[in-house]
Amino acid sequence: MTQLSEEEREKIIKSPPVGTWALMLMVGAGMVAAWLFLYYGVFLPRGAID
Amino acid sequence: MNDAEEKKLALSHMWIAFGAFLIASFMGAYQVLERSGFLPIIESSRVYFASVSSHGVLMAYVLTVFFIPGFGYYTATTSLKQPVWNIKLAWAGFGVSLLGTVLAAIPLLTGSASVLYTFYPPIQAHSLFYVGATLLLAGSWVWCWIMIVMMGQWKQANPGQPVPLAMFATVSNAVLWLWTSVGVALEVLFQLIPLAFGWMDTVDPGLARTLFAWTLHPIVYFWLIPAYTAFYVFVPKQAGSYILSDELARVSFIVLVVFSLPIGFHHLYMDPEQAKGWKLLHGIGTFIVTLPTLLTGFAVIASLEIAGKLRGGKGLFGWIGALPWRNPMVLAMILGLMMLMLGGFGGIVNASYAMNAMIHNTAWVPGHFHLIFAGTTVIMYFAIAYYLWPILTGKPLFSQNMALLQLWTWFIGMVVLSTPWHILGLLGQPRRISSVQYNSPLTLAWDTFELAMIVGGLIMLGSACLFVYNLAKTQLNSTTETYKGEVEYAEPIYPVARLPEFLNDFKIWNWVIAAAMLISFGYPILQFFFMDTFESSGWGY
Repeated sequence: MTQLSEEEREKIIKSPPVGTWALMLMVGAGMVAAWLFLYYGVFLPRGAID
Repeated sequence: MNDAEEKKLALSHMWIAFGAFLIASFMGAYQVLERSGFLPIIESSRVYFASVSSHGVLMAYVLTVFFIPGFGYYTATTSLKQPVWNIKLAWAGFGVSLLGTVLAAIPLLTGSASVLYTFYPPIQAHSLFYVGATLLLAGSWVWCWIMIVMMGQWKQANPGQPVPLAMFATVSNAVLWLWTSVGVALEVLFQLIPLAFGWMDTVDPGLARTLFAWTLHPIVYFWLIPAYTAFYVFVPKQAGSYILSDELARVSFIVLVVFSLPIGFHHLYMDPEQAKGWKLLHGIGTFIVTLPTLLTGFAVIASLEIAGKLRGGKGLFGWIGALPWRNPMVLAMILGLMMLMLGGFGGIVNASYAMNAMIHNTAWVPGHFHLIFAGTTVIMYFAIAYYLWPILTGKPLFSQNMALLQLWTWFIGMVVLSTPWHILGLLGQPRRISSVQYNSPLTLAWDTFELAMIVGGLIMLGSACLFVYNLAKTQLNSTTETYKGEVEYAEPIYPVARLPEFLNDFKIWNWVIAAAMLISFGYPILQFFFMDTFESSGWGY
C-alpha cells in the first residue's frame, strides 16, 4: 500500500474518475460497433423471410 | 447485539440455495453432454427435458428464492442494527418455501413436470408442481413483508434519517418481487392450477403468455439486485474505497424497480396475441432499463478507480493493475461486470425489435441469459457467501486461494460455454432441443461448438463443486481458530445527512409502478375478456 498524505488522499477521492469515463466510453463504443456489425453485417444480408 | 438466531436463519436459507445450485450444476453438465450426441448411451429426450426443467427451476427459483431472503434478513439486521422482526414468521416463510420445493421436486424429478422453467401452456405439468411452485412463492412473500415492516419500524424510530443504503436496496428488491410475482401468481392460480386439476378443460395460451411476460423480465432484476447491492455496499469497502454517491445508488435501485416491470413484451415480439404498438412501447422501456445498469457500472468502476489510485495506481488505466485482485469480492465484481457487458450486449440484440427475429428461440437466448444469471448474478452470490460465511459460522474461510481459483474457473467456464452458444444461435440452432445430431452438413458443422460447450460446462461443474466444498469445509472445520469479524458497509464519499422522501421510501414509487403497469398491461390483459380467442386443451400430465 502506498503511503499517502491526507491531502493526497483527499485529492484522489475527490478528483473526477476520468479512467472510468474512458473505460465506459470504450465499452459503449464497442457495443455500438458490435450491434452495427450484427445489424448490417449479419441480419440485413440474410434478407427477408421467405 | 446478539444475532445468533439471524445467523442461523441466513445460513439455513443459503444452504438450501447452494444445495439446489450444486444439484442443478450436475444437471447442467449432463445436459450439455446429452445434447451434443457425442455419447449415444446417455441420449434420452425424456430424461433430458426432465433435467432441463429441474435445472431451470432449481437455479432460477430455488437458488434465488432462498439466497435472496437469507442475504436480505442478515443485511436488514446488520444495517439497521436491530433483530429480524417476527423471526418465527420468517422461519414459517422458510418452511413454506421448503415444503413447496419438495412438493415441486417430486413431479420434476419423475418426469411429470417437464415444462421447462417457464409457465407456457398448453404444455402442462402435474398439479403437484404448480402447488409446490405456489408455496415456494408464498414463502418468499413473507420475507418481502418482513423487510418492508423492518424499514418502516426503523424509519419511525429514526425520523428524518436516511435508511441505510444496504437496507434501501434490500427493500427495493422486496417491493420489486411483490410486483413481479403478481403476473405468474395470477396465471398459476386462475389458469394452470384449474387446468391441472381438471376444473377447466381449456386454457388461453395468449393470456397466459401475457401474464408470464409480466413476471419474466423483472424477475431477472430480482435475481440481480443482491449483486448490485454488493457492488455498492461491499465492494468499495473491500477495495479500500468509497461509494461514489449514495443518492446515485438510490436512483439506480428506484429506476430498476420502476422500469423493469412494464417492459415484458420484448419476450413476445414474435407472438400474435399482442399488437405491435404495445410491443414497441415495452421495447422502448427495455432500453430505458439499461440506464440504471450503466449508472451502476459507472459508479462502481469509479469506486474501484479511487481504490486503485489510493493503492498507488497511476495514469488513465494504471489503477486497474493496482486493485486488490486477490480479494474475492473485488475479483468477483470485475469478472461479473465483464460478463454483464457481454450478456448485456446480447440482451440489446434480443430487445432490438427487428433483429430479434434473427435470434428468436435460438441457442443465442440461453447463451444470453446464462451470462446474466449464471455469470454476473451467481458469481456475486459466490462472493457474498465467501464474505458472509466466516461471519455467519464464526470460523475463517477454509481457503481463500480455492475461492479465487473457483471464481476464475467459473468465469472461464462461462465464457467457454456461452460464446459458442451465441454463435450456434446465429447459425440457426434452435433452443429447447434434446438432440442436435441430424447428420446433415449444417448440424455437423455445429460439432466443434458443441465440444467447446462441453468443456465450458465441465469447467463450471468443477468450479461449482469447489465452491460448495469450500463453504462446507469452512463450517465443518474442527479448527479452534475463530473469526470475530462483522459485516462492514462502505461509506459514501459525501455522507448524506438528509434525503428527500422519494429517495428514502417506496410509497410514491408504488403509485408510479401501479400507473405504469396499468398503462402497459391494462388493455393487453383486458382484451382477452372482450374478444373471441382460441383456447387449447392441456398437453402433458
